[in-house]
Amino acid sequence: MWSGGEEKAFQAVLDRYNETHPGVRFENLGSVNDEKTVRALVAGAPPDVFTVSDPSYLGALAANDAILPLDDLFGKSHLKTDDFTRASLSQARYNGKLYAMPYLVDCIGLLWNKKVFREAGLDPERPPQTIEELEEFCRKITRHGSDGRLTRIGLRPPDGVNLLALYGGGFFEPATGRMTANNPRNIEAATAFKALMDAQGGYEAVQGFAAGFANEQGGYNSFYVGQAGMAFTGQWNTYWIAKYKPDTEYGVAPLPYPAAHPERKGTLWLGGNFFCIPKESRHPKEAWDFLVWTQSLEAQRLLADSLHGVPNIRAALKLRSLREGEPWRVSFGKFMDLSDSSNATHFPPMPVAALYLSEINSAIEAVGYGRKTPEKSLSDTQERVQREMDRYR
Amino acid sequence: MRTNSRKTFLSREQRLGLWFISPWLIGFVLLTLYPILATLYLSFTDYRVLSPPRWVGWANYRELLLDTENFWPSLGNTVFFFLELPLALILGLALALLLNQKLRGMTIYRTLFYLPSIVPVVANAMLWLWLLNPEHGLVNTGLRAVYIPAPAWLASPLWAKPALIVMDLWAVGGSMVIYLAALQGVPTSLYEAADLDGANAFQKLVSVTLPAISPVIFFNLIMGVIGTFQYFTQTFVMTKGGPDKATLFYALYLYQNAFQYFRMGAACAMAWLLFLVTLAATFLVFKTSAGWVYYEGER
Repeated sequence: MWSGGEEKAFQAVLDRYNETHPGVRFENLGSVNDEKTVRALVAGAPPDVFTVSDPSYLGALAANDAILPLDDLFGKSHLKTDDFTRASLSQARYNGKLYAMPYLVDCIGLLWNKKVFREAGLDPERPPQTIEELEEFCRKITRHGSDGRLTRIGLRPPDGVNLLALYGGGFFEPATGRMTANNPRNIEAATAFKALMDAQGGYEAVQGFAAGFANEQGGYNSFYVGQAGMAFTGQWNTYWIAKYKPDTEYGVAPLPYPAAHPERKGTLWLGGNFFCIPKESRHPKEAWDFLVWTQSLEAQRLLADSLHGVPNIRAALKLRSLREGEPWRVSFGKFMDLSDSSNATHFPPMPVAALYLSEINSAIEAVGYGRKTPEKSLSDTQERVQREMDRYR
Repeated sequence: MRTNSRKTFLSREQRLGLWFISPWLIGFVLLTLYPILATLYLSFTDYRVLSPPRWVGWANYRELLLDTENFWPSLGNTVFFFLELPLALILGLALALLLNQKLRGMTIYRTLFYLPSIVPVVANAMLWLWLLNPEHGLVNTGLRAVYIPAPAWLASPLWAKPALIVMDLWAVGGSMVIYLAALQGVPTSLYEAADLDGANAFQKLVSVTLPAISPVIFFNLIMGVIGTFQYFTQTFVMTKGGPDKATLFYALYLYQNAFQYFRMGAACAMAWLLFLVTLAATFLVFKTSAGWVYYEGER
């Protein structure tokens, strides 16, 4: 799951558990990804417990009975639903049942570069509040060179699914099993995406410019160096900036909301990591004990401190050691505060999540390039994904 | 009276032979034949990998053939790529003709032109990602220097496929070497005879060289047809099917169904459709070959 330096950090957390819990021993298989885990499950050689880094796998694993529902174990333990940030536990539920334990939540908010704001004549202390304002800021920040090529854009092109999240149209109605890809809110969102990209010179020009961006992990990150004035991105940047480009002046805010829908204020997009127990685990009890431990303050602190994900236990969000000390921890603390916002949202766990996400991003791309209208594009997505979902009913 | 009344099915030699090739046979049956037949069965099922397959008859095939969003565009993109075939044939042959001259240092030129084709596909793809980078790439820097509009290449739905074609042509050395070998096998007596008849260079190329190496052109054509239908690695590494599905090739969409969307049944159906299409295309090429491929051993 984890690799490189992150694998070592994860191993250190496991070592801590092994040290403090004589009689059991957890070993981490290096360089495993979600796809390999699925193959191990299919081959009948499941691990005792495994971690999923792409939440879109959870629904498929749950819907196909490959992982153990945890409700009974959860009920008998000392854990309470209220201990968890709301949107961390809801990511682990499918069809009303709990299938995983979250850890290291990823929290996507708005980062803005204060230096870029100053250069565009904007108030460096004030991020855009609404999407309309975001578009205006994008227009002001965008710069072209003497040859007409982009030299700076306002907003790094976001994932289509993040934009849909801002409008709150939702993706799926669990009660009816209906997809809601083409509901009016989502169509508004796709329209706004096109407008945002057009405000910066058009989607193709923006994509061409973005193709020249350096690797995000490093000092040449397009947001850190000001090639893009804003980005929808996650808490890991607070640590990366401190490590790779500490002179970056930036602020952390919730994602902007549509002026017409003020109830969407304070939207955050969440992802994260999950522990699951395979149905055929040979040591489900020991695995569960370990999962309970991962929710303890000690484990949550260890994980957040070494792997820079947001804790999912409310009490851990208040830990002073995670938010005080080095300057970047203050910004990290801001992400921690936002992660429990009532408008913190995520993709619903469902068996067709991988296909759905890919179709949404394609649909938004088709709108961005002007190949399809928002209505047509999202209706195509609706039809395609609904057909696939109906196979699971 | 027959002394050997127990007639055996196979002679002793045949049995020995089978015994010797059995490691390969067992491997073939278990690791190739069985999986191939299994995909035929799975193509008629709803198989989500994590749960057992369920028989659905022709549903996968029907759904694919009605899918105008992904299936047909992916086939269309793949067919578009057949533009590369004649280009690769001509370029490979032209290079081979040039490198077949008797000049000093020819081995160095041959090595240089062959070199790109031994670069591993993935390394080649990474390299071209840099060359074709719309902002900092060498290609666009060059175009801008001479005031030619520089497209966004892999970020442009219009230019993404041509970009991949250009990239693949760079590695045309593989077929070039095969042409070169064939060119060296053309009997010089034929050229001498043509000289005596007063043929010029172009006439010699058309009437002597091309017919003489036609089996090799045929071979490269067949391999090209099959390879084009299976085009995968470059787009998997470089574009993941984007931008706006412009490089969603058949094999990539098959892979996505099988390993990302939990639609293994549909993926197996796609594999069989691909097999049939490739078979038909290859068959067509074979059919026409009688008219233009010349084998010296015949007649």
